[in-house]
Amino acid sequence: MLLVISFLVYSGLELSPGDAVSHMISPELASTITAEQLDAMREAYGLNQSFLTRYWIWLTSMVQGDMGYSMAGGVAISEIMVKTVPATLELSMVALFFSTILGCSLGVISALKRGSGTDNSLTVAGMAGVSIPEFFFGLVAILLFAIELKWLPVGGRLLPHYETLWDRIPNIVLPSLVLALMMTAGAMRYARSSMLDVLAREFITTARSKGMPEWRVNILHGFRVALTPVVVLIGFRLPLLIGGSTIIEQVYQWPGIGSMFIRSVRASDYPLVMTISLMYVFVVLTASLIIDVLTALIDPRVRLGKE
Amino acid sequence: MEDKNNIALSVRDLKTFFYTNNRCNKAVNGVSFDVEKGKTLCIVGESGCGKSVTAATIMQLLPTLSRIEEGEIKFRKDDKIINIEKLEKNGKEMREIRGSDIAMIFQDPMTALNPVYTVGFQISENLKYHTNLNKKEIREKCISLLNDMGIPLPEKRVDEYPHSYSGGMRQRAMIAMAMACNPKILIADEPTTALDVTIQAQIFELMDKLKKENDTAIILITHDMGVVAELADNVAVMYMGNIVEAGTADDVLRRPTHPYTKALLESVPVLGRGKNQDINPIKGSTPDPYNRPKGCQFAPRCNWQTESCDVMPEITQINETHQVRCHKYEQFFEKYK
Repeated sequence: MLLVISFLVYSGLELSPGDAVSHMISPELASTITAEQLDAMREAYGLNQSFLTRYWIWLTSMVQGDMGYSMAGGVAISEIMVKTVPATLELSMVALFFSTILGCSLGVISALKRGSGTDNSLTVAGMAGVSIPEFFFGLVAILLFAIELKWLPVGGRLLPHYETLWDRIPNIVLPSLVLALMMTAGAMRYARSSMLDVLAREFITTARSKGMPEWRVNILHGFRVALTPVVVLIGFRLPLLIGGSTIIEQVYQWPGIGSMFIRSVRASDYPLVMTISLMYVFVVLTASLIIDVLTALIDPRVRLGKE
Repeated sequence: MEDKNNIALSVRDLKTFFYTNNRCNKAVNGVSFDVEKGKTLCIVGESGCGKSVTAATIMQLLPTLSRIEEGEIKFRKDDKIINIEKLEKNGKEMREIRGSDIAMIFQDPMTALNPVYTVGFQISENLKYHTNLNKKEIREKCISLLNDMGIPLPEKRVDEYPHSYSGGMRQRAMIAMAMACNPKILIADEPTTALDVTIQAQIFELMDKLKKENDTAIILITHDMGVVAELADNVAVMYMGNIVEAGTADDVLRRPTHPYTKALLESVPVLGRGKNQDINPIKGSTPDPYNRPKGCQFAPRCNWQTESCDVMPEITQINETHQVRCHKYEQFFEKYK
C-alpha cells in the first residue's frame, strides 16, 4: 500500500512542470543564467538521472531510514519532521478530543430531545458546520475572537519567553476548535441518527422493563451500542482532520507539517513532499488499525473467538 | 368472581389511544379483565387487535405518541392496591414495580437482548435495582437462575454475550431476567413466535413450572390456539381493541359463543383429522383502525350480521365465568345446553 502510493506521488511530481532547480533561481538571475549552469546544478542534485533510477535511489534510502535532505534549504528532512510533526499532532489530537466529546454528547442530546427546539437548532448548526469550509470559519474566528474581542492570539504556536504549558494554551484554542468544528458537526449528525436507530430497538424496551432509570437506559444501553458506528466514522474522518490541518495551519501560521507540505510542493522539493505524503498514508493506515481494535473493544460481536 | 385476594391485577375499562398525524387510533378501547394469582390468562386475537398494546399499557412502556385515555389498572402489591395508570410513566414508583413486581418477556429474543453486554450483566441489572444483594450474591443468583432455566454450564455461560446463545437459550435468558426478582405478574408477549416448535414446548413447560412454584400470575399474549388450549386457565379474545369473549379456557374453547371466536377456532387445522378437514379462514380483513365500522366491530365479516349489529353490543355475562359481547349470543349458546 505504502509502496503503490509513494510511486503514484512520485510520478505526479515528475509530471508537474518545473523542478527544484527552477524554483531555486530568482527571476532576476533567470535571465542571466546559462543552460549549462542549470544542467550543472541539476547534476549536483542528481536530477539528471532517469525517473525510475531516482525513484529507486529514494526508495532504498527511505527503507534504510534515511529521509534525505530538503532541496530548498539543505536541511535534513528528519530534522524538519522532528520540528513540525509534534506541532501538527498537538493540533489534531486536541481537535480530535474536542470533536469526539462535543460531537457525541451533542448528538445524543439531539436524539433524546428529538423534534424539540434544541434538536432543530443543533441540526441546523450541524448542517452549517458540515457545509461551510474550514478556512472561512478560521478567518471569521480570527476576526471575532482575536481582532475584535482580543481574547486570543491571532496565530502562531510558540512565542519567545512563553514556555510554560499555560502560556501555550491560548494559542491552540482557536485553531483546534476551528479544526474540530467540521468533525464535530459530522460526528454529531452521525451520533444522532445512530442513537435514534438504537433507541427504537427492542432491547431498549427490555432495559426499560427492568425498571432502570432513564439515564441508565439511554447511556448504558443506548449510547454504548450507538457508539460503534460513530467510532468508525471518526476513524475514517481522521485523515480529513489531518488534511484539514493543512489549511488551518496556513490560516493560523501554525508551524506544523501542513504548512511545511504546502511550501515543499510549491518548491517542488520532492524528498520532502515524498516523506510527508508517506507519513499521511502511514497515519491513515494506522488510524484504520486503531479503529479496528477500538470497535472490537466496544462491540463484542466483532471480537475474535478466544479458543 | 372469586375472593378478591386472589386477584393480582385488575383492569377496568382501559382505553389506550395512539395519536399520529392528527388522527387517533383507539388501539385499546375499553378492555376489562382480572388476572388471578398462579393462573394463566391468555389474550388471543389477530395481529393489530391491541393485545401487545394492552401489555405495554400495564407496564407503562407505551411509545411517546400514545397514552392511557381512561380506565384503571389496579395492581395488588401485598396488601396495598396500586393504581398503575396514575403513576408517572418513568417515575420512581413505576420503576419499582417494573422488573420486580411485574416483569415482561418479549416476542423476539434475538433483538430483545442488548448485544454488547454479557447475559449475566443483563440479568444482574434487575437484581441490582430491586434487591440489596452484593456483587458476589448477585452473580451467584444469576448462575442459579440460568441453571433453573436449564442452560448448561451456567458458570461459563453467564459471562457470554447474547450472540453466542441460540434463540431458545436467549429466550430462557430473557425468562431468567424476568423471573430474577420473583415477580407477582409475568407478561409474556408472544414469547415463542420466533422460536422452533420443539423449543416452544420447553419454554412453556418452564413458564408453567414457574407459575406453580412461585404462584406467579401469567398474562400470555398469543395468536396460537394450540398454546391457548395447552396453557390457559382463562382466555380473553380481543378484536379491534375490545374483548369480545372471555371466560375459562373450557368456556371459550369448548363453548365459543362469539362468532369471531368460533371463526378463529375453525380457521386452525387440527392434527390427526387428515387432509380433508374443513378449514374456514375468516373472510375479509381487519378494518382500518381510522375508519371503523359503527357498532359491532366484527359485523362486516360476520356471517350472522343483522341490523341490530349497528349498535355496539354490551358485555353480557352468560354465567359466572363466561362473558361475551354479541347481540345474538343466546342463539349460539343454546347449542351447548
